[in-house]
Amino acid sequence: MSTPTGAGPIPPPTETPADELAVASSVPESQGRLIWRRFVGNKVAVVSVIILLLIILFSFSAIGLGPIPGWWKYGYKALNPQENGGNPTLSVLPQFLGGNGISLGEHPFGQDRIGKDYFAMTMRGIQNSALVMVVLGLIATVVGVFVGAIAGYYRGTVDAVLMRITDVFIVIPALVIGSVVGHWFGSLGAPVLAIMLGFFSWMGIARLVRGEFLSLREREFVEAARVAGASDMRIIFKHILPNAMGVVIVSATLIMASAILLETALSYLGYGIRSPDVSLGLLISSNQSAFQTRPWLFWWPGAFIVSLALLVNFVGDGLRDAFDPRHRRFKLSKMRETRPEPELEDRP
Amino acid sequence: MFRKSLSGVAVLGVAALALTACTTSGSTGTNSDSASGGGTVTVAVVNDFTSFNNQTPQSNLDTNGQVGYLMGNYGSAFSYIDKDFNIVREDKFGTFKKTSDDPQTVTYTLNPDDKWSDGEPVTADDMVLSWATQSGYYDSSTVDEATGEVATGTTYFEIAASTAGLDTTAYPTVSDDNLSMTLVYGTPYVDWELVNPIGQPAHIVAKKAGLSSAADLTALLKGLPKGDRANPAAPDPTLRAAADFVNTGYDVTAFPTDPDLLVSSGPMVPTGWTPGQSFTLERNKYYVGGMIPKIDKMILRVIPDANAQVTALQNGEVDIINPQASADTLTALENTGADVLTGDQVSYDHLDLRFDQPVFADLAVRQAFLKTVPRQQILDSIVTPVNPDAKVLNSQIWVPANEPYADSVANNGSKDYADVDIDGAKALLAGATPSVRILYNTKNPNRVDEFQAIQESAAKAGITVVDVGSPDWSSLLEGGDYDASLFGWISPGVGSAGISQIFSTDGGGNYNRYTGTNADAIATQTTLDPDKLIALEKKMDKQMFADAYGLPLFQLPGVFGVSKRVSGVEYMGNQTGPFWNFWEWSVNN
Amino acid sequence: MVSFVLRRILVSILILVAASFLMYVMVGYSAQPLQDLQGSNSPNKQQLINARVALLNLDVPPPLRWVLWIGGVAKCAIPFANACDLGSTISNARVIDILPNALAATVQLVTLALVLAILLGVTIGIITALRQYSGLDNTVTFISFFLYSLPAFLVAVLLKEFIAIGFNDFLRDPVIGSVALVAIGLVVGAIWQSLLGGDGRRRLVVFLVSGLATSGVLLLMSATGWFMHPGLGAIPVVVLVAAIALGAATLLAGLRNRRALITAGINAVIALVAYFTLQHLFDVSSAGTLIILALATAAVGLLSGFLAGGYDRGQNMRVGIVTALLSGAVVLLDRFMQSWGALLIATNGRPIATVGSKTPGLSGDVWLTGLDTFAHLTLPTISLLLISFAGYTRYSRAGMLEVLSLDYIRTARAKGLPERTVIVRHAFRNMLIPLTTLVAFDVGALLGGAIITEKVFAIPGMGSLFNAGLDRGDLNPVMGYFLIVAVMAITFNFLADMAYAGLDPRVRIR
Repeated sequence: MSTPTGAGPIPPPTETPADELAVASSVPESQGRLIWRRFVGNKVAVVSVIILLLIILFSFSAIGLGPIPGWWKYGYKALNPQENGGNPTLSVLPQFLGGNGISLGEHPFGQDRIGKDYFAMTMRGIQNSALVMVVLGLIATVVGVFVGAIAGYYRGTVDAVLMRITDVFIVIPALVIGSVVGHWFGSLGAPVLAIMLGFFSWMGIARLVRGEFLSLREREFVEAARVAGASDMRIIFKHILPNAMGVVIVSATLIMASAILLETALSYLGYGIRSPDVSLGLLISSNQSAFQTRPWLFWWPGAFIVSLALLVNFVGDGLRDAFDPRHRRFKLSKMRETRPEPELEDRP
Repeated sequence: MFRKSLSGVAVLGVAALALTACTTSGSTGTNSDSASGGGTVTVAVVNDFTSFNNQTPQSNLDTNGQVGYLMGNYGSAFSYIDKDFNIVREDKFGTFKKTSDDPQTVTYTLNPDDKWSDGEPVTADDMVLSWATQSGYYDSSTVDEATGEVATGTTYFEIAASTAGLDTTAYPTVSDDNLSMTLVYGTPYVDWELVNPIGQPAHIVAKKAGLSSAADLTALLKGLPKGDRANPAAPDPTLRAAADFVNTGYDVTAFPTDPDLLVSSGPMVPTGWTPGQSFTLERNKYYVGGMIPKIDKMILRVIPDANAQVTALQNGEVDIINPQASADTLTALENTGADVLTGDQVSYDHLDLRFDQPVFADLAVRQAFLKTVPRQQILDSIVTPVNPDAKVLNSQIWVPANEPYADSVANNGSKDYADVDIDGAKALLAGATPSVRILYNTKNPNRVDEFQAIQESAAKAGITVVDVGSPDWSSLLEGGDYDASLFGWISPGVGSAGISQIFSTDGGGNYNRYTGTNADAIATQTTLDPDKLIALEKKMDKQMFADAYGLPLFQLPGVFGVSKRVSGVEYMGNQTGPFWNFWEWSVNN
Repeated sequence: MVSFVLRRILVSILILVAASFLMYVMVGYSAQPLQDLQGSNSPNKQQLINARVALLNLDVPPPLRWVLWIGGVAKCAIPFANACDLGSTISNARVIDILPNALAATVQLVTLALVLAILLGVTIGIITALRQYSGLDNTVTFISFFLYSLPAFLVAVLLKEFIAIGFNDFLRDPVIGSVALVAIGLVVGAIWQSLLGGDGRRRLVVFLVSGLATSGVLLLMSATGWFMHPGLGAIPVVVLVAAIALGAATLLAGLRNRRALITAGINAVIALVAYFTLQHLFDVSSAGTLIILALATAAVGLLSGFLAGGYDRGQNMRVGIVTALLSGAVVLLDRFMQSWGALLIATNGRPIATVGSKTPGLSGDVWLTGLDTFAHLTLPTISLLLISFAGYTRYSRAGMLEVLSLDYIRTARAKGLPERTVIVRHAFRNMLIPLTTLVAFDVGALLGGAIITEKVFAIPGMGSLFNAGLDRGDLNPVMGYFLIVAVMAITFNFLADMAYAGLDPRVRIR
């Protein structure tokens, strides 16, 4: 559980990919390709991206979106007659092991008390959580980049005013402002909630981007662009911003991971997405009393929440390594080769 | 160097002194609860305690009311309500009887041995004060509707309950022995048995108002004229002071250092409070009434979250819980080995149709829509898993615990809506496809499920149900744009005051502008003869089904979890909850 | 410096005022304080609504009501006037009266969680950095990401279910089964060997020794009924104190440093003497006594380090104070354990609690109430600290790796400093610099997380005040909560900046 205030909660102060660029330019490969190669080299991150996309694809293909139907026979709102006492019909134990063979059955994840198919609801929950994640992340990033870029580029009064405004928003803990926003907009549906939450989650990125801009704007290529007569907006968005993309992308990913958890926490407090729409957080919090008695109502959405957040975090970590590979440069094993006694103990 | 060591010695000396000052007498171990063998029972409550006077608008909350019940003010002195919603008279504390119907006259007589927990006797002075508080006799105020503030005149005592009933009484007569009080009503009052004239101790209120005794307070009250709204007199400063103390003096945020606030006339006295966590009461040794508890001590433990209550019971931290009921909570409780008591709550969900909306102007449309409401299905999914014996509610007036319910249900026409009748509905609609907007609370999962079930079923008959649910539903009830509403009433289980409120044309709870039972609803309020009252109410019940007023759905299920340590707890569906028979509880060894 | 602080305070106040307006208006427009009355069928509904409207000035639109509210708050600035007016709740309790209790509960919880998260997170982060890409590193990385991805209330519910109820059930018949013994031994052995590292043979030895020792001690404990009557006893205390002295001297100064060894030894001996002689004083101790003893311990530690002298007094004083405080903690731990039996009786044999922060009606000496508080706060603290634990391990690992790759560390190594000195004295301090900013952010996250933790564990702190207030549409307690949280967030940010300046000589405060 964390807050969507920024890259994790902290701007990594000394990590300026700008320094990296100088190194990278000496390599006969474009910056983008280099980062891509590093990212692809990170197995955990790549596998995470694939699984993440598969989960989201699975949820959208299963129950469709809006009027487009999916391959699963039930919708998440439809009431069906209770079968098997609402218990899950999913079976994974093959027959020769005493199970019922591998089959989905009518309602693989069971049904809720009024007969809605829990599999369809879980899929809808994934859709909504993914939606909240992406929309919140995008809005927070766009607003944050804009504020941070303007503040960092123009400095002086503009910077002071924008940063004080950022401070005003940052003073309130994310969960607190999230509760208030959710209390207000939760009943208007997932997209509205996600957009509104996004407008209160940009502060971390704004601070990071401002820091980047403050240092990048002093660089020669900016000076060159200015001399060539480029407008401020062009310098900001065409020249400086691409160089700050590392920080932006990494912190956007981390905001997305915490967005899932924020929505879950809000649902637990009763301020998130409201029934009859479904989110994973809502499912898990409305079924927490089922924890001991009908654990599948609790564990399926729980497992998906944890997986989504975990996968996005892994992707973010992989991206950070790709954009800022210095963390990988130091290897103790290399030190060991040069030093005979690498252990903590001192030898006389 | 010498100086350094000297200062070192000095520091050591000071430290040693401080050490000795900071030690205790060496008490070890706990103060165990086995003082007189009755033991301690811990009950989980949802809300924290806020006031020793639970009758003011700001303090009329469940936990305050429960503490008040244990302390004997309002609701447990002369009588109490049992689990079957009978008014049980508590004769050992005092008696009351109606001596005349015209004018309605009621006399309350105290047991001469009754004492407050500070040793002072309970007298008619206390009853007169309570009457003054509840009747609004001295109020002369008119309220500015826009701001809610008093425009002219004076309001002395602020109370949460309505003054209706007692507001027609004259100043009471007090007997010479100062032990009984007689009330004479100006117009008959149907709920006279629910009047319970023991509230705050008059001797304490008198003291706080600067008077020397309870008798002085009574003398003051007797001397003051009835409040006149047209011609308000200047406020009396002493009564103002007394009223201010009663209104807000009992509101607390920590356990009071002033023992006067803790004075109780009931079976228990408060002895401790850790705000937000626990409230402790012990047996009142001065109490001579019939509700003397077997246990020595009761602890109210504040646990707002229902699941946390279940775990706390499982972990032995509380003995009795009253969580929000769900099938899972029930199973979890059964798994913990606790005793599980289930039953109905007094609140019930209902679907009301707006008579002032064009879509429901036609009786046939109303009937058709009601025929599509899958009440059994709703009950089966929401209530039956918790309470397998639950049945669909079939009366707008009574709940099954009330004696007239069965008879009324047999004749009120509710049978027409016993089952979903899509074909019948289609026939009534004759090809029309009306669209119905339903208002409900989107934050309440029960209402959401009810709405979905109704929407799905009505669609089969060609009725489009539009979702206008809102978390802000309560402010939309009056004047919102909707055709039907799904919400809950809390029936007190006893008394008839709510009837005119909901079913008379100008009643404050008549959100659906129903006019069909106006005359009868008003008449119920002044009908003293129980048989006539029931006949009137049955007539209303039938009329409402004939007019397709709407449908009652079900009573919310309730569940108590009781640890095996404690016996004697019985289910009760009203706000008093498990506390209703606290004197019968005992701790098993 | 002074002008910097004054300027910061002024700006902070302006930020606070602006943020409070934002918050007030948002909550004010979304709140429905009349909901329970509007849906009621009480005959005098209108009168009740009027009363509440009058009490809370609901007829004034939120932006204007904010002016009234901030006027009341401004009175807090008048010194000693006690004129603070934060409004009242729906049930007419003054917010200023209910805040202190709530604040105390939350500060206790959050501080404990914060300190533990930093200690554990930084330690583990450093160890994983030193064992980069080892099995330990990968496991810890995965676990910390996993914990980071768990919803807070899920953790809380699991802790209650498995730790509280599970452990209490275990106490009914405290015997550890043989399968569990073996499993615990295997796990502990695996953890130790990966922590200490080394070549295959060394790892095997560490694995066997630690695993067998753990299983053996547990077997002994369960055979002697230790869980019902815990306590350390004289020999384990001596062993532990000696280990602490040796460990502190090794880690902070190196075993070659005789004076550090002497300092640690002196403190260990004093702690043991205190253990044998002060038991009677402990019996009559109050919280005040313990604070005085703690201060005295710290003073003795510093003094002994100072007197032992040598060329590096600062180092010796650090060794002294660490040894003194840790051995003091062991002695206290032993004494607390002796009250375990009394707590078992007071709680019907189920000491680990799932709700609240103390057993109602429990009265006893400082040891019993202290132990009771511990039994209540353990689980909420764990569930809260997991929120930020992951952040600290990740950032301290990254920070350590970053620092270790810098030139000055290479220089330090090149001039032949032992690895311990390089890490503890050169790298550690610089690694802390970026962490200070994290702490400031983390306080906000913890205060937010406390909303959930307090709800699950029924602790009446700031979070439950906020939650109940927002639920009921009760604006004033929500704003009271906001005020405290915002002031804390601003203060911690300020302190972080100061710490940053203190640690990083390149930053100057003007």
